[in-house]
Amino acid sequence: MGREGVLNWVVALALLAVPLAAHALDEPFIVTLATKVAILALAGVGLNIALGLGGMVSLGHAAFFGIGGYAMAVLAAPVQAYEPLMTWPVELPGTKSMPVIWLAATLAGGLAALAIGALSLRTSGVYFIMITLAFGQMLYYFAISWPAYGGEDGISIYVRNGFPGLNTLDPIQFCALAYGVLMAALLFSRMLARSCFGLALSGARQNPARSAALGIRPYSVKLTAFVISGAITGLAGALFADLNRFVSPAMLSWQTSGEIMVFVILGGVARLFGPVAGAALFILLEHLLGGVSDYWKLFLGLALLGIVLFARGGLIGTLAGREVAHD
Amino acid sequence: MTEPVLDVRNLQLSFGALKATDGVSLTLRPGEIHALIGPNGAGKSTLIGLIAGTLTPDAGQVFLSGRDVTGTDVVARARAGLARSFQVSAVAGELTVLQNVVLAVQGARGQSFRFFRPALGQADLCEAAEAHIARVGLSDRRAVQAGDLAHGERRRLELAMALALCPRAFVLDEPMAGMGPDGAREMTALLDDLRHEAPILLVEHDMDAVFALADRVSVLVSGRVIASGTVAEIRADAEVQRAYLGEEMLE
Amino acid sequence: MSVMLLIEQALNGLQYGVMLFLMAAGLTLVFGVMGLINLAHGSLFMVGAFACAAVAGATGSFWLGLAASLAAAAAAGALVELTVIRRLYARDHLDQVLATFALILVFSEGTRWLFGSFPLYLDIPDALAGPVTLPGGIDYPLYRLVLIGIGLAIAGALFWLIGRTRLGIRIRAGEADREMIAALGVDISKLYTIVFALGAALAGLAGALVGALQSVQVGMGEPVLILAFVVIVIGGIGSIKGALVGAILVGLTDTLGRFLLPILFSTFMETSAATSVGAALASMLIYILMAGVLVVRPGGLYGRA
Repeated sequence: MGREGVLNWVVALALLAVPLAAHALDEPFIVTLATKVAILALAGVGLNIALGLGGMVSLGHAAFFGIGGYAMAVLAAPVQAYEPLMTWPVELPGTKSMPVIWLAATLAGGLAALAIGALSLRTSGVYFIMITLAFGQMLYYFAISWPAYGGEDGISIYVRNGFPGLNTLDPIQFCALAYGVLMAALLFSRMLARSCFGLALSGARQNPARSAALGIRPYSVKLTAFVISGAITGLAGALFADLNRFVSPAMLSWQTSGEIMVFVILGGVARLFGPVAGAALFILLEHLLGGVSDYWKLFLGLALLGIVLFARGGLIGTLAGREVAHD
Repeated sequence: MTEPVLDVRNLQLSFGALKATDGVSLTLRPGEIHALIGPNGAGKSTLIGLIAGTLTPDAGQVFLSGRDVTGTDVVARARAGLARSFQVSAVAGELTVLQNVVLAVQGARGQSFRFFRPALGQADLCEAAEAHIARVGLSDRRAVQAGDLAHGERRRLELAMALALCPRAFVLDEPMAGMGPDGAREMTALLDDLRHEAPILLVEHDMDAVFALADRVSVLVSGRVIASGTVAEIRADAEVQRAYLGEEMLE
Repeated sequence: MSVMLLIEQALNGLQYGVMLFLMAAGLTLVFGVMGLINLAHGSLFMVGAFACAAVAGATGSFWLGLAASLAAAAAAGALVELTVIRRLYARDHLDQVLATFALILVFSEGTRWLFGSFPLYLDIPDALAGPVTLPGGIDYPLYRLVLIGIGLAIAGALFWLIGRTRLGIRIRAGEADREMIAALGVDISKLYTIVFALGAALAGLAGALVGALQSVQVGMGEPVLILAFVVIVIGGIGSIKGALVGAILVGLTDTLGRFLLPILFSTFMETSAATSVGAALASMLIYILMAGVLVVRPGGLYGRA
């Protein structure tokens, strides 16, 4: 196992040990913070598939994150209002079951990514950045102006949704659930990177013209990766909504897109555990600096500038050195 | 006479007022090496783009094994067995030699949408790739990242990737470019071997290689084929000497 | 629906469009010449608005405020170019995105620190307050009319600058071939600073002019920035003409969509539903326009591709 492998285990175990210790010391706030890290990292794992493996600089991943969140609200809100989800063409009740909600959020995120990706991938480079940002903003304004789910104010889901066999209202159990989903997504991401598809995606990122001459359509490969990426980020959105028991257009805002990207880059682009390290560092900074100054984002901005200009490769990249070829 | 593998008929392409390809017809028959030579700016790269499918002609047709592929794109022509190498070595630099060739093998087989098993854990893919790597003599370099290869090695990797497509025809864009005399000699021998795999349309500046390898030579000047024939005929052709070979023959 | 109201809305759309042009022009120049994507362009818009509001508030003169907005935004632009941006030209887009995102945080939080979280208000100067009566008897706010005039005048000046002056020749040469222009002996880093400061000044001016129509607050720049991106995608990157056409198209589509769609829907829906559906759809209209352009011309209306 290389240095990066050791580092990955350290990060994974730390994210497990911190909430367990906090639980033992009766510090539920820290458990909730760890849950937040796991969920935001999951959003980053999704983005990392597009950004790290596929080289697609998406500044619109808040769209998928928010759609996942709203998918949760759309399914759970009717239940707390004692109304059916829809009455036509068939009567369908809402649901408070996390597995069903997750499935819906994953599908919704993937479908949105299919639509946005199909258009955005007609271009590349700087156009792609601007277009994904613009489509994210479109959904943000749509959520604000569409009154059904609270418009600008968002909507609260008063009781956290349930998972069979667990009490999700207990912070440590919900944290374990988020952690489990994150680990599953990381395993999936690792498998994807090593598969034939991952190789094709890597080829499409590094040299689309060469890939096409090998009979591999870069557009299809990238679009597929973008859909998978959006689906995972959508799932993270549903979990984030459940963590806060609240959904609002803020989840869809460009700041959210920027922050998800910051997690990935802080941790290290294309590094498996990059988003986890990045999200942890971000939340840590938010709470350390946020306690010192109301303007903590000023320092975050300066720190980010320093990282881009002088310490490329992110946290994992700096600690693990140049990536060695797999196998 | 056997049917040509690649049959290019009266291709035309203009960029504004410039006729980059002006009614080019040529054929590639089984087992042969057909060299395409011409001075810089003669339109060789444009012609390759038209044959490979990156450019769309204003008029004319391209047939591959008797099938009209004019309306299809690069990907479809690659799947149909047209293996192209690039003038500037265009391999994925962060991938190893083995990964690059596995990528080519899975591309040819249409296996790029497999999400679960590791690419390098699949024996059939790797064995096929290893065989192509061995063919071009890069076996002991297979775990090296393509970006770290020497120039000549990268050109050979290009050929291994082209081989992986199980091609009906090779279109090779200056495989000798930037090679020293030893490298060029090795490459010449390799190409002579590859013609048994599939016929080669060889765009090349290195006249020693062209005269050593080519069964037929076509001379492209200002987007037109001004002469076509055996090496001896081309050497003797007055128009060719005037337009192009003249200076080099005198050197 | 009266024709008068429609004309008024169309003028609003035009006014919105020319202000977007001031933003988009700077962005597209910076991208065309330096190959840089600058997310912090919206911050320069905000800097201009705050400078104008602060100076106008202190001196009582809107015109001094306007001069201050140009000076502050150009200075902030030049400072940022010299300290941060020029290190990014050789980097990939991802680094540019992250660094300029970081700059947004610095600008936004810095401004909040200086001015607090409450919005400032900037009054329209007395000379320009109130409506004028246009031919046809339409009463229209004079200030908005002046904005249209200023925007179009600046567009004309930019076309002249790019097309007719030495600086313009250098800018165009820089777009075509960076090495050639360096070989011609042009001091390229000075040229880059000038272009960046020019774009910043235009953004700052737009911020100040628009600031009198809405409140001046932290975060006002980014929505405009994203709209300017939509303009550039529609117009084609690097093209000033594309930026102008795209900006006016976006301004008109957005304004007229918000006005007309609810009316359109109310012809076959009940009024309250028509208002909400119409408003929701209108909020997405320019993005749908952008999607349409992408399908037909992925390189934009005046793009090179």
